[in-house]
Amino acid sequence: MPSVDKSGGVGGPSSPPTSSPSRPLRPSRYIPVSAATAFLVGATTLFFCFTCPWLSEQFSMAIPVYNGVVFLFVLANFCMATFMDPGIFPRAEEDEDKEDDFRAPLYKTVEIRGIQVRMKWCATCRFYRPPRCSHCSVCDNCVEDFDHHCPWVNNCIGRRNYRYFFLFLLSLTAHIMAVFGFGLLFILYHKQKLDHVHSAVTMAVMCVAGLFFIPVAGLTGFHIVLVARGRTTNEQVTGKFRGGVNPFTNGCWRNVTHVLCSSQAPRYVGRWRKPQTVVVQPPFLRPQLSDTQMGGKVLDNGIQADRHSSRSKSSLDMMESQSADAEPPPPPKPELRYPGLNRGQMSLGPTEESSLLSEAPPTPTMYKYRPSYSSPGKNHTALTHSNKMIRGDSLKEPPSILQSSQQPSYRSEPSLDGREGQRERGDRERGGGGSGGMSSVPSSGISGYSLGGRSYPSFTDPMVLSGGASRSSSLRSTHTAHNALGTLHSEGTTSTSYKSLANQTPRNGSLSYDSLLTPSESPEFESAAPELSPPHPHPPSAPPQVLGYSSPFLSAQIAHQRESELHQASAALLTSPQKSYVRASSPPPVEREREHLLPDSHQMPQQHSRPPRFSRPPLLSDSQPFSYRARSLGSPDAPQTPVSPSAVPAGSSHPPLGKSLSYTSAATELQYRSRPPEGSAVCPEGPHPRGKKASGGGAGSGGGIQAPK
Amino acid sequence: MAQTHSLQDLRQQASIAAKVFVQRDYTTGTICQFQTKFPSELETRIDKQQFEETIRTLNNLYAEAEKLGGRSYLEGCLACVTAYTIFLCMETHYEKVLKKIAKYIQEQNDKIYAPRGLLLTDPIERGLRVVEITIFEDQSNGRIEGR
Repeated sequence: MPSVDKSGGVGGPSSPPTSSPSRPLRPSRYIPVSAATAFLVGATTLFFCFTCPWLSEQFSMAIPVYNGVVFLFVLANFCMATFMDPGIFPRAEEDEDKEDDFRAPLYKTVEIRGIQVRMKWCATCRFYRPPRCSHCSVCDNCVEDFDHHCPWVNNCIGRRNYRYFFLFLLSLTAHIMAVFGFGLLFILYHKQKLDHVHSAVTMAVMCVAGLFFIPVAGLTGFHIVLVARGRTTNEQVTGKFRGGVNPFTNGCWRNVTHVLCSSQAPRYVGRWRKPQTVVVQPPFLRPQLSDTQMGGKVLDNGIQADRHSSRSKSSLDMMESQSADAEPPPPPKPELRYPGLNRGQMSLGPTEESSLLSEAPPTPTMYKYRPSYSSPGKNHTALTHSNKMIRGDSLKEPPSILQSSQQPSYRSEPSLDGREGQRERGDRERGGGGSGGMSSVPSSGISGYSLGGRSYPSFTDPMVLSGGASRSSSLRSTHTAHNALGTLHSEGTTSTSYKSLANQTPRNGSLSYDSLLTPSESPEFESAAPELSPPHPHPPSAPPQVLGYSSPFLSAQIAHQRESELHQASAALLTSPQKSYVRASSPPPVEREREHLLPDSHQMPQQHSRPPRFSRPPLLSDSQPFSYRARSLGSPDAPQTPVSPSAVPAGSSHPPLGKSLSYTSAATELQYRSRPPEGSAVCPEGPHPRGKKASGGGAGSGGGIQAPK
Repeated sequence: MAQTHSLQDLRQQASIAAKVFVQRDYTTGTICQFQTKFPSELETRIDKQQFEETIRTLNNLYAEAEKLGGRSYLEGCLACVTAYTIFLCMETHYEKVLKKIAKYIQEQNDKIYAPRGLLLTDPIERGLRVVEITIFEDQSNGRIEGR
C-alpha cells in the first residue's frame, strides 16, 4: 500500500520517538486483525475458486470481475485503515508546556461556534488536546478527530484514516452481500448436487458471509449515521451531543463531502524536518513603539481571556474573603513553597467556573452543562482546603451535578502517577536548581522566559493578573516546580485542577470498542468516568488519600452508583485477576506502572498523616478500581482487557454497559444506566462485528443505537 | 550547522530568551486557523501589523489546503480508482500547500523575523497545534536558557 505509516500501533520495540515510547510486543493485539484478515481473504478465495467458475460460465464474466473489483476495493481500504497513521500528534516538546505546567488548569475552554468546548490537558502528550482529539490508551497517542480504536484493524481510526475505514465498511458490506447472493444463486442451481465439494464449500462460504453480514451491516449503518451527523464514534458513544448541539457539524452534505472528498490530511509524526538555515544574530531591529502598541491589547479570538480575567479577578477577591471566613487555613507548607500557589489556585477555580457559569452561549450545550462547576464557595473550598474538608463535603452533600462537577479538573488522571511523576522529576531535575526553589525568585532569564511563554490567553491571563510576579516566577521555574512537586507529593497543591497533577499520570484512556469497561478519555468527558469508583471502596479508612482522586467530579453517591454499575458490568470479567475492577487492597505488582507506584504508595501513608488530595501513591493504594481502570486506559495492558470482552458472549451486555457508563458524565451516565440496551447496542457494533464473532445482537443493536437519539 | 562553529562563533550566536506559542483559533470549527491576537511578548520586537499579516497569510494557506473543492474530490476519486497506489507517486493537495507554507515561513523568517531576533517554527512540526515563535536574546552575553 502506498505511503502509509503507522506509529505506535504495530507493537514494536522501535517506535518513532515523538509519538510513543517503545512498547513490548503484544501478540494478543494481533489476534483480531489476523482473524479478520484470514476470514476475509480465505472466504473470498474459496468463493473465487469454487463458486465463480461456474457462475462465469453460466451467466457472465462480469460476475467474477465485479466481485474481484469489489474485493480489491475492500482490501485496499482495509490496508489503508490498518496501516495508515490515524493522525497522531507528536508529543509536545518541553518548551511548550512550561507555561502551563504547574498551576495551569486541567481543562481549557474554547468557544466553537458559540458552544463551549473543553480541551483537556493530556499528561502523556503534554498539551491541551485539541477539540475532538482523544488519547488512545492502546496506542498511547493522542489522535486527531479520534473515532475509536479498532481492534480488527489493530489501529486507531482518526482523521486521516476514517475515510478508508468507512469505505472499508461500505465495500465489505457490498462484498458480503455479493458473495452471499452469488453463493445462494449457485446453491439454488445445484440443489441436487449439494454433496459436491463445490456446493459444500459454497455453503460454508455463505455461512461465513451470512454470519458476518449482520454485525458488519449494523456497523456500516451506524457509521453512515455518524458521517451524516458529523460525529465521531467517541462522541456518539459518550453521548456528548445528547440534548446538545454539535459544534462540528456543517450539515449533512458537507459532512459527507468532508469525509469522502477532503484532501488527505498530512502526517504529523515522522515528517522530515528541514534543517534550520536561518541565522539569528544580533543586533536586532526593533519596532517603533507607538502609544497604541503600548496600551492596547487585542481581544483574543476564540479563547475567552478577557472575560475570564476580569471575572476571575473579582471572583478571586470574593473567594479569598470567603475562604478566610469559612475554612480553616490550609497547611502552611504548600504556601511557603509555592507562594503564588494559593492565588493561582483561587484564580483557577473562578476562572473555570466563571467561564462556564457566566458564559451563556445562545444554545444549550453539553459542554457547558457538564463541567458546571459548583458555586464559588464550594469550588474554593475544594481548591484551597484539606482533603478531609473536601471529602467531608462531598460525602455529606447530596449528589448533584454541581457538586459532582465541582472538580472536573480533579478528575483526571488517576494517580497512576508514580511513573509519570518520577519520569517527570527525572526530566526536570536537570533544570531544577534545588527542590525548594519554588519560592525563590528565579533568575531574570527564567522570568523572562515565563513571560514570553505565557502565550496561552485565557487560562494564563487571569493567573497572571492574580498571581503577579510571584506566580509567574514560581510557575515558570518549571524545573523546580516539578522537583518540588515531585518531592512534595503529599503536600501537593491544594488545587484540584492543576495540570501538574495530571502530568504525573502516565496516560489517559481512550475510546476503544474493546476497552469498554475502562473509562476512556474523551476530551470533555473524563469527568464522569473513573473518578467515581475509587473513593468508595474505602471510605472511612483513609479519607485524605482517597480524596485525592475522589473529588473529581462526582459526589459520593454517584460514585457509589457507578461502582455498583461497574461491578455489574464487570462481573463477567472479574475472573481474571489482573482486570481493572478487582478491588484489591494492595495492587499486585503486575504492571510496571504499578511497580513504580508501589514504593510510593507504601511510603506515603506513613510519611503524611494527612496526605494532600493529589498525592498519587495513597490514591493508588486506596482506589484500586479507579487506578486499575485508569491504568488500563493508558497501560499497555489495555489490550488484555479488550480480549476479555470479546471473549464474553456476544449477548452479554455487561461490557458495553460498563463502557458506556465510563464515558459519560454523571448526568448522561444516569441516562445510560436507565437504558442499558442502548449501551449494549452501541458497543457490540464496534469490536464484535469486526471480529467476525457472530454477535446476533449486532444488527438489532445497530438499529437500537439510533433510537436513543 | 552549529556543530562546526568555533567557540567564538557560538558566543556570538544569539541565545534563546523565550518562546511564544500562538494557539489555534477554534471559533469557526476545527479547520486549521491560528489566532491573530498579538502576543504581548512580541510587542517590543515586531510590529503588530506584520505579525498579523503573517498569521493571516498562514490561515489563508491552511484554508486553501483544507478546501473541499473539485481538486480534492478528483484526487480522492483517482486514489480510489487506483486502489490508493497513486499516493506512491503523487503528492496530495494538502502536502503541496504545506510545502508552500514551509517556503513562506522560511521567507518570512529570512526577511522579517530573523532580523528582529525572532524565529517562526512551522506549525506542522507541532502537529498544527501552535505556531512557535522563538525570541532570541538581544545581548549575546546575557545567556539565559529559556528551555
